[in-house]
Amino acid sequence: MSDTLRLVIAIGVILFLLATFIVTFILYKRTPAPKGCENMGPNKERCKNCEMSCHLNIYADRKENE
Amino acid sequence: MNTTPYIYTFLLAIISSCLIDNVVLSRFYGICPFIGVSKKVKSAFSMGVAVTFVIILAALICWPLYHFVLLPLQIPFMDILTYILVIASLVQIVGLFIKKFSAPLYQSFGIYLPLITTNCAVLGVVQTNTDTALSFGLSMANAIGTSLGFLLVIVLFSTMRERIEEYNGNKAFKGVPIALISAAILAMAFMGLMGIGAK
Amino acid sequence: MSERSLQHKESFITPILKQNPLFVSILGTCPALAVTKSLEASFGMGLLFTFVVCCSNVLISALRKLIPEEVRTPCYIVIIAAFVTITRMLTEAFLPELYSSLGVFLALLVVNCIVLGRAEAFASKNSVFDSLLDGLGNGVGYTWAICLIGVIREILGTGMITFGKIFTFIPLFRIPILKALDGSFNYSMSVFSLPTGGFIVFGLILAVIAAIEGRKKAKEKIKLQAEMKAAVKGEK
Repeated sequence: MSDTLRLVIAIGVILFLLATFIVTFILYKRTPAPKGCENMGPNKERCKNCEMSCHLNIYADRKENE
Repeated sequence: MNTTPYIYTFLLAIISSCLIDNVVLSRFYGICPFIGVSKKVKSAFSMGVAVTFVIILAALICWPLYHFVLLPLQIPFMDILTYILVIASLVQIVGLFIKKFSAPLYQSFGIYLPLITTNCAVLGVVQTNTDTALSFGLSMANAIGTSLGFLLVIVLFSTMRERIEEYNGNKAFKGVPIALISAAILAMAFMGLMGIGAK
Repeated sequence: MSERSLQHKESFITPILKQNPLFVSILGTCPALAVTKSLEASFGMGLLFTFVVCCSNVLISALRKLIPEEVRTPCYIVIIAAFVTITRMLTEAFLPELYSSLGVFLALLVVNCIVLGRAEAFASKNSVFDSLLDGLGNGVGYTWAICLIGVIREILGTGMITFGKIFTFIPLFRIPILKALDGSFNYSMSVFSLPTGGFIVFGLILAVIAAIEGRKKAKEKIKLQAEMKAAVKGEK
């Protein structure tokens, strides 16, 4: 296989995977949650002090320290 | 000459990556969810099952991807990028299925789903499978053993933690520190399994 | 102008002590337990981590107005993966001992919660310079944190600090610190070099930090109560 063909196929593979990811990501975000789960998610007041992205804050359900 | 039937090697590989070289307590892969999600047994179990699913599927997809696509194209250095894209897409797909078909499952670990992408265990297993040039069978054994080991340890640890919640010793140890010390003892217990057969 | 420079200083200083990514936010714990068997390896890991987090913060901050809102996370993951791949190749070429000692944890920087967390929480909203400072701050904070764990584990586990095994341009020399009970230097309490020791040391450090925080809070509470009493007395 010539070099340029390999390069093109390689870029194509990466872009295909990236497109798959973006498509599934957007699909997931746009699918509505089942009824009763709409307002799930980390409690934003509790993790406002952590300055880390809330969905990565694994202590979202941690009780407040006295 | 090695005349052991392949099935024995396969099973031994599963047991060794599940118990002997345990993914969390010995290889240190899934520590973030191990500490963070293991407060209740139910959520720990759901997290473990979801991670099992993702690890096995990811290993199933990534090994052929590496050996039949990346290597012939001579871009083995792109493995990190391709693996993380595959894993992230898998997590989104699993999330889609759960959202659409199982509301109780979504309720129990819906918010932990994005965490599986950043779980070191998933990427770690897939990466070691190709870094150490394992065959496909051994890669799948590694993946199955790792995921079962993760499930086992996170459920064990969550049962321990539910008891530790009633800890009323020194206040400084409350919460994560005493959990880590208990994890240390758990790690010591698993160390006792070292030396059973070779990987 | 002074407010700007105060903000710059804050974004650099805060992650080092007050918001230390490892000890306060308890993120990025996988490498913190796995590569801290020796001080040198921890330092190497911290260095590479700093490089990755600074580069990704800078690039993400530079592109923050161009990336559409919905596809932020995929773009961040791709950018971080690119930098981790670059770091991996550079390390394999220039520091091969560090590369073989870190193993797969160099690739796992891609899913390091700190890198992705800073990208989403800080670099997507602040200027390039602030993000660079924040990256440096987090890097320094993480590095000193894992070096602390590493030095404790190495001293207690092998009784000496070894330099030169990983950064081979330093000549190999050891600083013996602890002696075995029979007076020789054959000390080794290998539990600290094992995974168990990692958990123990990390847990103890977190407990010490919690104790210090608790004492500080108790002092503040006492001060507050004294002030309130004084205010009430003053009113009377």
